[in-house]
Amino acid sequence: MLVGIALENNKSNTSKPKECANEMSQYLVAVASERCKRSYAKIFGYFAPRLRSYALKQMGNEALAMELVQDTMSNVWQKAHLFNVEKGSPSTWIFTIARNIRFDMLRKLQNRKEDICSDDLWPILCETTADQNEIPLDEQVTLEQVGQLFNHLPDKQRSVIEAIYIDGKSQQEVADQLSIPLGTVKSRTRLALQRLKDMLEDHD
Amino acid sequence: MINFHPTDKQLRQFAEGNISSAMALVVAAHCDMCSHCQEKVDEVNVELAQDIENIAAHEMTDPAFEKMLAEITAKPMIDTRPAIVPKIELDGRFFDVPRPLRRYVRNTGNWSKLLGKVWQAPVDIGEAGAAHFIFMENGGQVPEHTHRGNELTLVVNGEFSDGLADYDTGDFLVMDNEHIHSPHSNNKDGCLVFSIVDEPLHFTSGLARLLNPFSHLFFK
Repeated sequence: MLVGIALENNKSNTSKPKECANEMSQYLVAVASERCKRSYAKIFGYFAPRLRSYALKQMGNEALAMELVQDTMSNVWQKAHLFNVEKGSPSTWIFTIARNIRFDMLRKLQNRKEDICSDDLWPILCETTADQNEIPLDEQVTLEQVGQLFNHLPDKQRSVIEAIYIDGKSQQEVADQLSIPLGTVKSRTRLALQRLKDMLEDHD
Repeated sequence: MINFHPTDKQLRQFAEGNISSAMALVVAAHCDMCSHCQEKVDEVNVELAQDIENIAAHEMTDPAFEKMLAEITAKPMIDTRPAIVPKIELDGRFFDVPRPLRRYVRNTGNWSKLLGKVWQAPVDIGEAGAAHFIFMENGGQVPEHTHRGNELTLVVNGEFSDGLADYDTGDFLVMDNEHIHSPHSNNKDGCLVFSIVDEPLHFTSGLARLLNPFSHLFFK
Protein backbone atom coordinates (compact mmCIF):
# COMPACT_ATOMS: atom_id res chain seq x y z
CA MET A 1 0.00 0.00 0.00
CA LEU A 2 2.86 2.32 0.73
CA VAL A 3 4.74 1.77 -2.47
CA GLY A 4 6.51 4.84 -3.66
CA ILE A 5 6.05 6.89 -0.53
CA ALA A 6 9.09 7.02 1.61
CA LEU A 7 8.70 8.56 5.01
CA GLU A 8 11.33 11.06 5.95
CA ASN A 9 13.03 9.79 9.05
CA ASN A 10 15.50 12.56 8.97
CA LYS A 11 14.49 14.43 12.09
CA SER A 12 17.14 17.09 12.16
CA ASN A 13 16.53 19.76 9.63
CA THR A 14 19.73 21.54 8.94
CA SER A 15 18.48 24.01 6.35
CA LYS A 16 17.74 27.55 7.39
CA PRO A 17 14.09 28.50 8.00
CA LYS A 18 13.90 30.61 4.85
CA GLU A 19 15.32 27.85 2.65
CA CYS A 20 13.07 25.34 4.33
CA ALA A 21 10.07 27.56 3.61
CA ASN A 22 11.02 27.78 -0.06
CA GLU A 23 11.52 24.05 -0.24
CA MET A 24 8.16 23.35 1.42
CA SER A 25 6.45 25.88 -0.88
CA GLN A 26 7.72 24.02 -3.90
CA TYR A 27 6.48 20.73 -2.50
CA LEU A 28 3.05 22.25 -1.87
CA VAL A 29 2.87 23.53 -5.44
CA ALA A 30 3.80 20.07 -6.70
CA VAL A 31 1.04 18.54 -4.57
CA ALA A 32 -1.45 21.09 -5.86
CA SER A 33 -0.57 20.73 -9.52
CA GLU A 34 0.43 17.10 -9.85
CA ARG A 35 -0.82 15.35 -6.72
CA CYS A 36 2.80 14.49 -6.15
CA LYS A 37 2.86 11.98 -3.29
CA ARG A 38 6.60 12.17 -2.86
CA SER A 39 6.42 15.91 -2.34
CA TYR A 40 3.57 15.40 0.08
CA ALA A 41 5.59 12.82 2.03
CA LYS A 42 8.33 15.45 2.48
CA ILE A 43 5.81 17.96 3.83
CA PHE A 44 4.27 15.29 6.04
CA GLY A 45 7.65 14.18 7.35
CA TYR A 46 8.52 17.69 8.38
CA PHE A 47 5.21 18.91 9.79
CA ALA A 48 3.35 15.87 11.14
CA PRO A 49 5.74 15.18 14.06
CA ARG A 50 5.85 18.87 14.96
CA LEU A 51 2.08 19.16 14.81
CA ARG A 52 1.80 16.11 17.02
CA SER A 53 3.93 17.76 19.71
CA TYR A 54 1.94 20.97 19.38
CA ALA A 55 -1.38 19.13 19.45
CA LEU A 56 -0.40 17.06 22.48
CA LYS A 57 0.44 20.25 24.35
CA GLN A 58 -2.87 21.83 23.31
CA MET A 59 -5.20 18.87 23.71
CA GLY A 60 -3.38 16.93 26.44
CA ASN A 61 -4.51 13.63 24.99
CA GLU A 62 -2.69 11.40 22.54
CA ALA A 63 -5.77 10.26 20.58
CA LEU A 64 -7.11 13.80 20.15
CA ALA A 65 -3.65 15.00 19.23
CA MET A 66 -3.39 12.44 16.45
CA GLU A 67 -6.87 13.34 15.24
CA LEU A 68 -5.81 16.97 15.01
CA VAL A 69 -2.67 15.99 13.08
CA GLN A 70 -4.66 13.80 10.70
CA ASP A 71 -7.34 16.42 10.00
CA THR A 72 -4.76 19.14 9.52
CA MET A 73 -2.57 17.11 7.20
CA SER A 74 -5.61 15.88 5.24
CA ASN A 75 -6.52 19.47 4.50
CA VAL A 76 -2.96 20.14 3.38
CA TRP A 77 -3.23 17.27 0.89
CA GLN A 78 -6.76 17.94 -0.28
CA LYS A 79 -6.61 21.71 -0.49
CA ALA A 80 -3.00 22.35 -1.38
CA HIS A 81 -4.14 24.51 -4.30
CA LEU A 82 -5.44 27.07 -1.79
CA PHE A 83 -1.94 27.71 -0.48
CA ASN A 84 -0.78 31.08 -1.73
CA VAL A 85 2.91 31.69 -1.41
CA GLU A 86 2.32 35.44 -1.68
CA LYS A 87 0.33 35.37 1.54
CA GLY A 88 2.81 33.62 3.77
CA SER A 89 5.00 30.64 4.47
CA PRO A 90 3.87 27.01 4.44
CA SER A 91 4.37 26.76 8.21
CA THR A 92 2.07 29.73 8.82
CA TRP A 93 -0.55 28.28 6.50
CA ILE A 94 -0.38 24.89 8.18
CA PHE A 95 -0.45 26.43 11.66
CA THR A 96 -3.63 28.35 10.80
CA ILE A 97 -5.28 25.16 9.53
CA ALA A 98 -4.36 23.36 12.76
CA ARG A 99 -5.61 26.32 14.82
CA ASN A 100 -8.97 26.19 13.00
CA ILE A 101 -9.38 22.47 13.44
CA ARG A 102 -8.53 22.71 17.11
CA PHE A 103 -11.10 25.51 17.53
CA ASP A 104 -13.85 23.35 16.01
CA MET A 105 -12.72 20.20 17.85
CA LEU A 106 -12.84 21.93 21.24
CA ARG A 107 -16.37 23.20 20.63
CA LYS A 108 -17.52 19.80 19.50
CA LEU A 109 -15.99 18.19 22.59
CA GLN A 110 -17.76 20.68 24.84
CA ASN A 111 -20.99 19.88 23.04
CA ARG A 112 -21.75 23.52 22.40
CA LYS A 113 -24.54 24.17 19.98
CA GLU A 114 -22.95 27.21 18.48
CA ASP A 115 -23.40 27.95 14.86
CA ILE A 116 -19.99 29.52 14.42
CA CYS A 117 -17.21 27.57 12.78
CA SER A 118 -13.61 28.28 12.02
CA ASP A 119 -14.20 28.61 8.28
CA ASP A 120 -16.22 31.75 8.97
CA LEU A 121 -13.68 33.19 11.36
CA TRP A 122 -10.49 32.47 9.50
CA PRO A 123 -11.39 31.92 5.86
CA ILE A 124 -8.08 30.39 4.89
CA LEU A 125 -9.54 27.29 3.28
CA CYS A 126 -11.99 29.10 1.04
CA GLU A 127 -11.32 30.28 -2.43
CA THR A 128 -11.26 34.07 -2.21
CA THR A 129 -14.38 35.41 -3.78
CA ALA A 130 -14.01 37.67 -6.72
CA ASP A 131 -15.25 41.14 -5.99
CA GLN A 132 -18.34 41.72 -8.07
CA ASN A 133 -17.28 45.26 -8.86
CA GLU A 134 -13.82 44.19 -9.89
CA ILE A 135 -13.05 44.76 -13.55
CA PRO A 136 -12.18 41.44 -15.16
CA LEU A 137 -8.45 40.97 -15.43
CA ASP A 138 -8.49 40.69 -19.22
CA GLU A 139 -9.92 44.18 -19.53
CA GLN A 140 -7.29 45.79 -17.38
CA VAL A 141 -4.15 44.79 -19.18
CA THR A 142 -2.91 44.68 -22.69
CA LEU A 143 -2.08 41.50 -24.51
CA GLU A 144 1.48 42.67 -24.83
CA GLN A 145 1.91 42.83 -21.06
CA VAL A 146 0.50 39.37 -20.66
CA GLY A 147 2.73 38.08 -23.45
CA GLN A 148 5.84 39.27 -21.62
CA LEU A 149 4.79 37.76 -18.31
CA PHE A 150 3.69 34.58 -20.05
CA ASN A 151 7.31 33.73 -20.76
CA HIS A 152 8.02 33.66 -17.04
CA LEU A 153 5.61 30.79 -16.47
CA PRO A 154 7.05 27.31 -15.85
CA ASP A 155 7.15 25.26 -19.08
CA LYS A 156 4.43 22.83 -18.00
CA GLN A 157 1.99 25.59 -17.14
CA ARG A 158 2.81 27.55 -20.27
CA SER A 159 2.13 24.66 -22.62
CA VAL A 160 -1.29 24.10 -21.05
CA ILE A 161 -2.18 27.77 -21.26
CA GLU A 162 -0.97 27.99 -24.87
CA ALA A 163 -3.09 25.02 -25.90
CA ILE A 164 -6.21 26.36 -24.22
CA TYR A 165 -6.02 30.10 -24.76
CA ILE A 166 -4.10 30.30 -28.03
CA ASP A 167 -4.99 27.06 -29.82
CA GLY A 168 -8.49 27.11 -28.37
CA LYS A 169 -8.47 23.48 -27.23
CA SER A 170 -10.71 22.18 -24.51
CA GLN A 171 -9.16 21.05 -21.23
CA GLN A 172 -10.01 17.44 -22.08
CA GLU A 173 -8.28 17.73 -25.46
CA VAL A 174 -5.19 19.11 -23.78
CA ALA A 175 -5.23 16.26 -21.30
CA ASP A 176 -5.40 13.72 -24.15
CA GLN A 177 -2.71 15.48 -26.16
CA LEU A 178 -0.26 15.65 -23.26
CA SER A 179 -1.34 12.28 -21.81
CA ILE A 180 -1.97 13.76 -18.38
CA PRO A 181 -5.09 13.55 -16.17
CA LEU A 182 -7.80 16.17 -16.67
CA GLY A 183 -7.39 17.25 -13.02
CA THR A 184 -3.78 18.09 -13.70
CA VAL A 185 -4.73 20.26 -16.68
CA LYS A 186 -7.25 22.06 -14.49
CA SER A 187 -4.85 22.67 -11.65
CA ARG A 188 -2.06 23.79 -14.00
CA THR A 189 -4.45 26.21 -15.64
CA ARG A 190 -5.53 27.57 -12.29
CA LEU A 191 -2.00 27.90 -11.00
CA ALA A 192 -0.82 29.55 -14.20
CA LEU A 193 -3.66 32.07 -14.16
CA GLN A 194 -3.06 32.77 -10.48
CA ARG A 195 0.61 33.25 -11.18
CA LEU A 196 -0.08 35.61 -14.07
CA LYS A 197 -2.46 37.55 -11.88
CA ASP A 198 0.14 37.78 -9.11
CA MET A 199 2.78 38.89 -11.58
CA LEU A 200 0.46 41.54 -12.97
CA GLU A 201 -0.21 42.85 -9.52
CA ASP A 202 3.50 43.02 -8.79
CA HIS A 203 3.92 44.75 -12.10
CA ASP A 204 1.66 47.65 -11.18
CA MET B 1 -12.10 56.20 9.34
CA ILE B 2 -11.84 53.31 11.78
CA ASN B 3 -10.95 54.53 15.27
CA PHE B 4 -12.08 51.74 17.53
CA HIS B 5 -10.17 48.47 17.35
CA PRO B 6 -9.89 45.27 19.37
CA THR B 7 -7.05 45.36 21.92
CA ASP B 8 -3.74 43.68 21.06
CA LYS B 9 -4.62 41.04 23.63
CA GLN B 10 -7.93 40.30 21.92
CA LEU B 11 -6.20 40.09 18.55
CA ARG B 12 -3.64 37.66 19.94
CA GLN B 13 -6.32 35.48 21.53
CA PHE B 14 -8.11 35.52 18.18
CA ALA B 15 -4.98 34.38 16.34
CA GLU B 16 -4.42 31.65 18.93
CA GLY B 17 -8.04 30.54 18.71
CA ASN B 18 -8.35 30.95 22.50
CA ILE B 19 -11.41 33.17 22.43
CA SER B 20 -15.19 32.88 22.73
CA SER B 21 -17.04 32.23 19.49
CA ALA B 22 -19.05 35.45 19.71
CA MET B 23 -15.95 37.58 20.28
CA ALA B 24 -14.12 35.69 17.52
CA LEU B 25 -16.90 36.41 15.04
CA VAL B 26 -16.96 40.15 15.68
CA VAL B 27 -13.15 40.40 15.74
CA ALA B 28 -12.98 38.42 12.47
CA ALA B 29 -15.53 40.71 10.82
CA HIS B 30 -13.59 43.76 12.04
CA CYS B 31 -10.31 42.38 10.68
CA ASP B 32 -11.96 41.83 7.31
CA MET B 33 -12.65 45.59 7.23
CA CYS B 34 -9.46 46.76 8.96
CA SER B 35 -6.14 45.96 7.29
CA HIS B 36 -4.30 47.42 10.28
CA CYS B 37 -5.67 44.75 12.66
CA GLN B 38 -5.44 42.03 10.00
CA GLU B 39 -1.71 42.73 9.72
CA LYS B 40 -1.31 42.41 13.48
CA VAL B 41 -3.11 39.05 13.40
CA ASP B 42 -0.92 37.91 10.50
CA GLU B 43 2.18 38.78 12.54
CA VAL B 44 0.98 36.73 15.49
CA ASN B 45 0.21 33.84 13.12
CA VAL B 46 3.79 33.90 11.86
CA GLU B 47 5.08 33.95 15.42
CA LEU B 48 2.85 31.04 16.50
CA ALA B 49 3.81 29.06 13.41
CA GLN B 50 7.47 29.49 14.34
CA ASP B 51 6.72 28.00 17.75
CA ILE B 52 5.49 24.88 15.97
CA GLU B 53 8.56 24.75 13.74
CA ASN B 54 10.87 25.07 16.72
CA ILE B 55 9.06 22.55 18.85
CA ALA B 56 10.90 19.35 19.81
CA ALA B 57 9.37 17.07 17.22
CA HIS B 58 8.16 13.58 17.94
CA GLU B 59 9.98 10.72 16.29
CA MET B 60 8.81 10.08 12.78
CA THR B 61 9.32 6.34 13.14
CA ASP B 62 5.94 5.76 14.76
CA PRO B 63 4.02 3.35 12.49
CA ALA B 64 0.89 5.42 13.15
CA PHE B 65 2.37 8.12 10.94
CA GLU B 66 2.95 5.73 8.08
CA LYS B 67 -0.65 4.57 8.24
CA MET B 68 -1.88 8.14 8.42
CA LEU B 69 0.19 9.18 5.40
CA ALA B 70 -1.21 6.32 3.32
CA GLU B 71 -4.79 7.16 4.36
CA ILE B 72 -4.41 10.82 3.54
CA THR B 73 -2.84 10.39 0.13
CA ALA B 74 -5.65 8.02 -0.85
CA LYS B 75 -8.12 10.88 -0.44
CA PRO B 76 -9.30 12.93 -3.41
CA MET B 77 -8.46 16.58 -3.89
CA ILE B 78 -11.21 18.98 -2.90
CA ASP B 79 -12.09 21.65 -5.36
CA THR B 80 -13.72 24.63 -3.71
CA ARG B 81 -15.75 27.14 -5.60
CA PRO B 82 -16.07 30.78 -4.74
CA ALA B 83 -19.43 31.33 -3.08
CA ILE B 84 -21.98 33.84 -4.22
CA VAL B 85 -21.76 36.97 -2.11
CA PRO B 86 -25.05 37.47 -0.26
CA LYS B 87 -26.10 40.93 0.83
CA ILE B 88 -28.31 42.25 3.59
CA GLU B 89 -31.48 43.80 2.22
CA LEU B 90 -33.63 46.40 3.95
CA ASP B 91 -36.36 48.33 2.13
CA GLY B 92 -34.73 47.86 -1.25
CA ARG B 93 -31.27 48.87 -0.03
CA PHE B 94 -28.51 46.28 -0.23
CA PHE B 95 -25.55 46.21 2.13
CA ASP B 96 -22.29 44.33 1.75
CA VAL B 97 -21.25 42.54 4.91
CA PRO B 98 -17.71 41.51 5.87
CA ARG B 99 -16.74 38.02 4.77
CA PRO B 100 -17.02 36.28 8.18
CA LEU B 101 -20.67 37.36 8.43
CA ARG B 102 -21.72 36.32 4.93
CA ARG B 103 -22.83 32.82 5.85
CA TYR B 104 -25.16 34.32 8.47
CA VAL B 105 -27.05 36.42 5.96
CA ARG B 106 -29.02 33.25 5.22
CA ASN B 107 -29.65 32.82 8.96
CA THR B 108 -31.05 36.31 9.28
CA GLY B 109 -34.76 36.65 10.05
CA ASN B 110 -37.13 39.35 8.94
CA TRP B 111 -36.69 42.98 9.86
CA SER B 112 -38.99 44.28 12.54
CA LYS B 113 -39.45 47.81 13.70
CA LEU B 114 -38.04 48.02 17.18
CA LEU B 115 -38.68 51.57 18.29
CA GLY B 116 -39.23 54.69 16.23
CA LYS B 117 -36.67 54.62 13.48
CA VAL B 118 -34.75 51.58 14.63
CA TRP B 119 -35.05 48.22 12.91
CA GLN B 120 -33.63 44.88 13.84
CA ALA B 121 -33.30 41.45 12.29
CA PRO B 122 -32.29 38.44 14.39
CA VAL B 123 -29.31 36.34 13.29
CA ASP B 124 -29.17 32.72 14.38
CA ILE B 125 -25.70 31.90 15.70
CA GLY B 126 -26.88 29.11 18.01
CA GLU B 127 -25.87 29.22 21.65
CA ALA B 128 -22.94 31.53 20.99
CA GLY B 129 -25.14 34.53 21.89
CA ALA B 130 -28.04 36.63 20.65
CA ALA B 131 -27.04 38.35 17.45
CA HIS B 132 -28.84 41.00 15.40
CA PHE B 133 -28.36 43.30 12.52
CA ILE B 134 -29.66 46.65 13.73
CA PHE B 135 -30.40 49.54 11.43
CA MET B 136 -30.82 53.08 12.72
CA GLU B 137 -32.44 55.40 10.24
CA ASN B 138 -31.37 59.02 10.17
CA GLY B 139 -32.66 60.34 13.51
CA GLY B 140 -33.24 56.85 14.91
CA GLN B 141 -32.30 56.25 18.53
CA VAL B 142 -32.05 53.30 20.89
CA PRO B 143 -33.06 54.43 24.43
CA GLU B 144 -30.27 54.87 26.95
CA HIS B 145 -29.23 51.54 28.38
CA THR B 146 -26.50 49.61 30.12
CA HIS B 147 -25.55 45.95 29.87
CA ARG B 148 -25.74 43.00 32.18
CA GLY B 149 -23.27 41.06 30.11
CA ASN B 150 -21.18 42.03 27.12
CA GLU B 151 -22.42 43.77 24.01
CA LEU B 152 -20.15 43.37 20.97
CA THR B 153 -20.84 45.69 18.08
CA LEU B 154 -19.37 46.16 14.64
CA VAL B 155 -20.36 49.13 12.49
CA VAL B 156 -21.08 47.50 9.14
CA ASN B 157 -22.12 50.56 7.19
CA GLY B 158 -22.67 54.17 8.24
CA GLU B 159 -22.05 56.30 11.31
CA PHE B 160 -23.60 56.59 14.72
CA SER B 161 -22.98 58.24 18.09
CA ASP B 162 -23.93 57.11 21.57
CA GLY B 163 -23.08 59.97 23.92
CA LEU B 164 -19.70 58.37 24.60
CA ALA B 165 -18.14 58.67 21.16
CA ASP B 166 -18.76 58.87 17.41
CA TYR B 167 -18.38 55.67 15.41
CA ASP B 168 -17.71 55.02 11.75
CA THR B 169 -17.87 52.05 9.39
CA GLY B 170 -15.60 49.24 10.61
CA ASP B 171 -15.42 50.36 14.26
CA PHE B 172 -15.37 47.62 16.90
CA LEU B 173 -17.04 48.19 20.29
CA VAL B 174 -17.22 46.16 23.48
CA MET B 175 -19.72 47.48 26.04
CA ASP B 176 -20.39 46.06 29.51
CA ASN B 177 -22.07 47.11 32.75
CA GLU B 178 -19.68 50.04 33.11
CA HIS B 179 -21.04 51.68 29.98
CA ILE B 180 -24.31 53.57 29.76
CA HIS B 181 -25.06 54.73 26.25
CA SER B 182 -27.83 55.74 23.89
CA PRO B 183 -26.96 54.90 20.28
CA HIS B 184 -28.40 57.19 17.65
CA SER B 185 -27.63 57.98 14.07
CA ASN B 186 -27.69 61.40 12.44
CA ASN B 187 -26.16 60.00 9.30
CA LYS B 188 -28.08 60.85 6.12
CA ASP B 189 -28.11 57.19 5.08
CA GLY B 190 -28.55 55.78 8.56
CA CYS B 191 -26.32 53.14 10.09
CA LEU B 192 -26.20 49.34 9.97
CA VAL B 193 -24.50 47.52 12.82
CA PHE B 194 -24.02 43.87 13.77
CA SER B 195 -24.31 43.15 17.47
CA ILE B 196 -24.08 40.19 19.83
CA VAL B 197 -25.24 40.33 23.45
CA ASP B 198 -25.03 37.55 26.02
CA GLU B 199 -27.61 39.09 28.39
CA PRO B 200 -30.61 41.38 27.81
CA LEU B 201 -30.02 45.13 27.84
CA HIS B 202 -31.04 47.19 30.84
CA PHE B 203 -32.70 50.49 29.98
CA THR B 204 -31.79 53.35 32.28
CA SER B 205 -33.90 56.40 31.54
CA GLY B 206 -37.41 57.69 31.17
CA LEU B 207 -40.24 55.66 29.83
CA ALA B 208 -37.86 53.18 28.30
CA ARG B 209 -37.34 51.76 31.78
CA LEU B 210 -40.78 50.28 31.38
CA LEU B 211 -39.25 48.13 28.68
CA ASN B 212 -36.91 46.37 31.09
CA PRO B 213 -39.28 43.58 32.08
CA PHE B 214 -39.69 42.88 28.39
CA SER B 215 -36.24 43.76 27.14
CA HIS B 216 -35.41 40.13 26.60
CA LEU B 217 -38.10 40.23 23.94
CA PHE B 218 -36.38 43.05 22.11
CA PHE B 219 -32.63 42.91 22.58
CA LYS B 220 -32.26 39.47 23.89
